[in-house]
Amino acid sequence: MSGCGLFLRSAAAARLGRALVAFTASRRPLRTSPPSQAFAKELFLGKIEKKEVFPFPEVSQDELNEINQFVGPVEKFFTEEVDSQKIDREGKIPNETLEKLKSLGLFGMQVPEEYGGLGLSNTMYARLGEIISLDCSIAVTLAAHQAIGLKGIILAGSEEQKARYLPKLASGEHVAAFCLTEPASGSDAASIRTRATLSEDKKHYVLNGSKVWITNGGLASVFTVFAKTEVVDSNGSVKDKVTAFIVERDFGGITSGKPEDKLGIRGSNTCEVHFENTRVPVENVLGEVGGGFKVAMNILNSGRFSMGSAVAGMLKKLIEMTAEYACTRKQFNRNLSEFGLIQEKFALMAQKAYVMESMAYLTAGMLDQPGFPDCSIEAAMVKVFSSEAAWQCVSEALQVLGGSGYMRDYPYERILRDSRILLIFEGTNEILRMYIALTGLQHAGRILTARVKQLKQGNVTTIMETVSQRVRDSLGRTVDLGLTGKLGAVHPSMETIVEEQLVLKRVANILINLYGMTAVLSRASRSIRVGLQNHDHEVLLANIFCTEAYYQNLFALSQLDKSDLRREERGTPRNSEHWHPTPTVLTRLSPPAVGMTKWLLQQILRKISMN
Amino acid sequence: MRLLRLREVKAFFQGHAASHQLGWNWIPRLSLSPKGLKILAASLSCCRWLSDRQRHELGPSHPAGPGPLSGLGRYLQHCPHRSPLLSVVLYPQVTPQAPRGLHCSTAAHNPDSPLVPRPPEPQRGLVKALAPHEELFRQAPDGVRDKASFVQAVQNFTQYNVHKRGHVDFIYLALRKMREYGVERDLAIYNLLLDIFPKEVFRPRNIFHSIFLHYPRQQECGIAVLEQMENHGVMPNKETEFLLTQIFGRKSYPMLKFVRMKLWFTRFKNINPFPVPRDLPQDPVDLARLALRHMEPDLSARVTVYQMPLSKDSTDATDPTEPHIVGIQSPDQQAALAHHDPARPIFVEGPFSLWLRDKCVYYHILRADLLPPEEREVEEIPEEWNLYYPMQLDLAYGRSSWDDYEFNIDEVEEGPVFAICMAGAHDQATLAKWIQGLQETNPTLARIPVVFRLSASSGELLASSSGLEETPLTPPEGREEEENNQQRQQQSQS
Repeated sequence: MSGCGLFLRSAAAARLGRALVAFTASRRPLRTSPPSQAFAKELFLGKIEKKEVFPFPEVSQDELNEINQFVGPVEKFFTEEVDSQKIDREGKIPNETLEKLKSLGLFGMQVPEEYGGLGLSNTMYARLGEIISLDCSIAVTLAAHQAIGLKGIILAGSEEQKARYLPKLASGEHVAAFCLTEPASGSDAASIRTRATLSEDKKHYVLNGSKVWITNGGLASVFTVFAKTEVVDSNGSVKDKVTAFIVERDFGGITSGKPEDKLGIRGSNTCEVHFENTRVPVENVLGEVGGGFKVAMNILNSGRFSMGSAVAGMLKKLIEMTAEYACTRKQFNRNLSEFGLIQEKFALMAQKAYVMESMAYLTAGMLDQPGFPDCSIEAAMVKVFSSEAAWQCVSEALQVLGGSGYMRDYPYERILRDSRILLIFEGTNEILRMYIALTGLQHAGRILTARVKQLKQGNVTTIMETVSQRVRDSLGRTVDLGLTGKLGAVHPSMETIVEEQLVLKRVANILINLYGMTAVLSRASRSIRVGLQNHDHEVLLANIFCTEAYYQNLFALSQLDKSDLRREERGTPRNSEHWHPTPTVLTRLSPPAVGMTKWLLQQILRKISMN
Repeated sequence: MRLLRLREVKAFFQGHAASHQLGWNWIPRLSLSPKGLKILAASLSCCRWLSDRQRHELGPSHPAGPGPLSGLGRYLQHCPHRSPLLSVVLYPQVTPQAPRGLHCSTAAHNPDSPLVPRPPEPQRGLVKALAPHEELFRQAPDGVRDKASFVQAVQNFTQYNVHKRGHVDFIYLALRKMREYGVERDLAIYNLLLDIFPKEVFRPRNIFHSIFLHYPRQQECGIAVLEQMENHGVMPNKETEFLLTQIFGRKSYPMLKFVRMKLWFTRFKNINPFPVPRDLPQDPVDLARLALRHMEPDLSARVTVYQMPLSKDSTDATDPTEPHIVGIQSPDQQAALAHHDPARPIFVEGPFSLWLRDKCVYYHILRADLLPPEEREVEEIPEEWNLYYPMQLDLAYGRSSWDDYEFNIDEVEEGPVFAICMAGAHDQATLAKWIQGLQETNPTLARIPVVFRLSASSGELLASSSGLEETPLTPPEGREEEENNQQRQQQSQS
């Protein structure tokens, strides 16, 4: 499992790769062309944006040194001073622990430096997340504070708001909470009942309503609250729209319920928050009045990517503990670790940890690029993959541990309980799958309809392009554009795809696997190139994962195919025979991956056009 | 018509041999057997015709005493199992209720068949010969017709008739009487009837016996018993099998029928996803309740009894002013009715029939016409609805005149149904009471004009007053019973 953590140490060891890193680093800011589309969206069009993912993003040496300075003390603190068991038993993080966290600056990791935060890049944030997640309760508390609680102020806040709130939030003097969920409203923004009405002097909003399951609800003194307000449209009609507010506890009228008794992450504080005639000044509107929906979406979308690295950190620790047990426990005069079925479990855990780590750092690296790349699909993919892998791995680890995995005296069962929430919060995995599939299809659909439109209008270049593409395809990979039917028109009932959740789930699964494959291929190929220690191990892990994911994708594709109505329209993935999961493909992306995506799209659209 | 070839005989025999393991193996292999049986039936009928003529010539011409041949005929008539050839003498008066199901029987029974000469007179006289058995069933104490008395009748027959003369006729008679005694679903009774057959006598002794219908009349009778079991959904058991093997042997038609029943009954037993209970409630209100629940797909729907019928003790048992009214309405229907535009009328329509086993009940619906397309509200997807994923793919389609907007959709849309009711009377006054009752839970109904569109009751199969309460005691004949039986089979019960 030491191989899994190689990435950050790698840069120090990689004298060879330095020149290349410097080259890419210097080249990137100079790029004048508009930033290319995010990787995942292009994947839906059957294109691999190689520039985005190859080579695997790296951090500069300075940054690395800087991060190591942080990581050391934080790691020491978490291993020596944090008593996770006690936190779990008592259902509360002790005050001195919180104080120490604040003094380490962990409450303001992503707050810009001018507001007193650490101003860490996404990659560094991901790295710190690995360590913080050694205690899930603390990790969730910190995430609720800065990944969603104060993120709104950073993303949408005005200068005054930032100056007013961020310094105190970054120091941990104030804790933030994110209040969106209501008894009747989860992901349905239309059913939000909390209401903010403008007072007569137009200086205040009066806030009424209650929110449930608010992490940090009892500790927080600054809340990001979403409430319905009346907004006058451009054509004069009055509509209810969601608006985001920054609400301080001192505004009055805020009560929090008693902390919820939870299955896992028991140390984090979750409770109901009630607002009763809370007067919020007009200046505290976050973003625009009526623009709360976008604010909420942006906050939610930006907070997810770090989960991959956090889970990987937790898993690596767990693997370490499990490995220790497996190497000492003897049965039939042999260590557990010598048994094939146990080894298989370790292989699975190592592989999953490796993949999620690769995905998380790849995404973080993409986010760190200049400009504001939209990596929300990638982040969602990381979240879905890592949370599910975490549940699976923790379960397998408990299996290795046998009876002691089930006992409360050991930390293992706590990890199991803690990891269950990962599948649920920050958007359940089901909803995120829908998000991944639909956002991607929307993007692909728009581009292809535009293309069809051009074809109809008789744009000569487009026609030539299409024809040549067709010819090339028919000669080469025999994959056509996909989205267009036989007559070259997109079926108007494309909208119904939204209802085809089972299809969308499989689409999302395939895309997640493709992204995971890309990430491990990119990372492993870089490891080979720079000659990292144990890179053969990485290649092996990448290899296992790619083979597995490939077959999973084939299976998902065949399932998509099965639901197809017309038998003669069914196809088989035509490029499968070219696929050899050997280390040679690690250096470049496998063509089947490309073909498969196209083929997939084609199949989906055929299916749609049939309904 | 041709003689059977040896190969066919072999195949047939093999089919027989396999039958006790795989009953359905017979089906393809028996394809030749009807022809052989037709030949047999034809020749046997000829024999019977001949013997009848003889009797006619001899019998009436010697009124002083029966001729020797007619005496022999009477003897044979009572112990038909002695000789296969002569036993068929009684063939056509076996029963008016011809057993169906076995392909040979239609050919053998068909009176229009050119090979079968129509028997002249003796039918009537021979039917009268059944009278002694009828008496067995009349012996039952008055009024009490139950399983015990039926069993008593059967036992009387076996005791009184040690040689079991005329047992085939008796079994047919008993089969017809079963309904009256209410034992038509009792497996033990069927086994008892089968037990009347003498054992080991009708078993085929050699290959030719089993190729040609051995003791056809007895086999037909055995099939008739099984057939009636089938019609009433009675699953034969091990005892039945044992009896059949004892009586007819494994390679016989009743056994084939048994094996097929064993195979298909298990498959069809639970084929109806909406089973109707075997014994329907006698009370019309309970029956209506059951029928309404049966029709309404929404489980949260509520049944309301708007009016109870007058009790039976009152002087007028069928008082037309107080028939029962039972209605059902689901919350969704209630909501739909609340949203109904009061300017549009709603309709009470009916009566429509619903069959529950052998009972026909009638119901009325409250419905509205479909809104014209231009007035329908299109459900809009709010712009900012789902925090996580797009609820609608917003693709900039460049639709032009080329594009086909019309799709070939075979959908017939119907107007909404707001409630269903069952009432004891189908007149407007009764149904108006139902609407009044509905208004209590649906206040908007007071403002909506209600139009009664009641069809004439000529379409009813049974008179509404008697049909709901009475069950026909005598088994219905012909088509009607066939339908009932089919229905019963479909709603297969235990």
